[in-house]
Amino acid sequence: MYEGIRSPVIHTPKTINEFNTTILRYPNSQIWAGGTYIMSQEEYYPSDAKDAIIDLGGIEEMKKITRNDRFVEIGAMVSASQLLYAGKLILPEILQKTLQTLASQIVRRQITIGGSLCIPEVRFALSTTLAILDASAEFKYYQGGKVSTHWVPISRMYDKTGKLALGAEIALMTRIRIGLDHGDFHSLSTVEDPIRNTDKCVIFAFQANRTQNSLSKVQFCMSFPTKAFYMSKDIESKLSSLTLPIHPERVNTISYELVAELKKQHSTITELQLERGRRMFESVLHKLNSKTLQA
Amino acid sequence: MKIECTIDGKALSLSVNSNKPLSLILMEDVGNRTLLCHCKGKACGNCIVLLNDEAVLSCVIPAFRLRNATVTTFESYQKTRQCRDIERAYQRNGNTPCPNCYASKTLIIESILQSLTNIRPNRVNIPMMSRPRVPTNMEDTLDEQVIIQELSLNTCQCMHMSELVQIVETALTFRRRKRVRRN
Repeated sequence: MYEGIRSPVIHTPKTINEFNTTILRYPNSQIWAGGTYIMSQEEYYPSDAKDAIIDLGGIEEMKKITRNDRFVEIGAMVSASQLLYAGKLILPEILQKTLQTLASQIVRRQITIGGSLCIPEVRFALSTTLAILDASAEFKYYQGGKVSTHWVPISRMYDKTGKLALGAEIALMTRIRIGLDHGDFHSLSTVEDPIRNTDKCVIFAFQANRTQNSLSKVQFCMSFPTKAFYMSKDIESKLSSLTLPIHPERVNTISYELVAELKKQHSTITELQLERGRRMFESVLHKLNSKTLQA
Repeated sequence: MKIECTIDGKALSLSVNSNKPLSLILMEDVGNRTLLCHCKGKACGNCIVLLNDEAVLSCVIPAFRLRNATVTTFESYQKTRQCRDIERAYQRNGNTPCPNCYASKTLIIESILQSLTNIRPNRVNIPMMSRPRVPTNMEDTLDEQVIIQELSLNTCQCMHMSELVQIVETALTFRRRKRVRRN
């Protein structure tokens, strides 16, 4: 049916070293993790864009989850399902919730952590949550026939529009590291399905520490899957100095500051998304207030 | 690329492009009649098959991941005892999915039932599954929310979600009764 289309050669390295050799020999090949994003592209098949595919499915080193007193390390080829199961006792609650809301169990079995974070143009809930958890990823860069290793914070992996910006043409994410010292208040909210309703979706992750009725270590990230990956040190520091409960007027003022900032930086975000983002932000702060008052 | 795999109980040696989606292989190379369309990975949820007894979207499985795999489509699944539990649940509730999504919804329900009853038929270890072995019921208890999340993978609106949840519950009762009788 599809005459003239070449069948890509499949390379299946068993170790990262083997992968290094293969990618240096075939620099134009496509790196394949779970494949859910690649295969959901309109032009995926039939197409003769790639001569070779490097399937990471055989690299055992990239499928490990390890933990010590300070952090958890997750191999890039661990699937969302495996992480959800294995990490029930060691992962922060917000990350578990993120993994649960990522997709249905059937799809979660196929989604890999590395694959999800390395999608070139779209940001889903996993990147948003890991950004506020101060997670970082280990990358191998392949430049000029040489391999170098770098740790990159997840929050700096993307540009402000949410596109992957690694600064190297060929790179491989091998593992991610999540510190175990996080705030005592977490929240993740997603409106609309990021895969089916990308243009209307908003993802908002928030974490903070509440000590003696004051907020500290506030971190938040708001993602508009194809439009923006927004973190604001300015608003975070404004929130960090506040005393709980935050006055509703103050909540309102900060939320409109957030909208103004978003409008200024990202003209492509629709009014609907902005309003959704603002309300999500406000509702998290109100939730924080109500938790404080309950205590 | 030559791929040896078992589809609906038949050992096949397929000569296909290495990156061809399983849904297209089933439709074009195997001539399966239960898969009606290829959504190009848009997650319409109408192409569910069982790959090594686990439900997957066949439009996002490439041919090279099928080496030595066992694929069960609805064509052979509908002849099994497990399918009868779900069919009986449809009858009991007086509602069946439309012909477009019947196969997929039934296989999604089967996947939910397997998770709830923790039944895993013997699995063949294939390269794709060489990931660390994890029981399929990732969540200890599958509540209604999770069932709805699973069922909403299929975007066909022919049935209300509450009806489908009801069907899952009925099918689960039949499945559990069968297990008790066997024990």
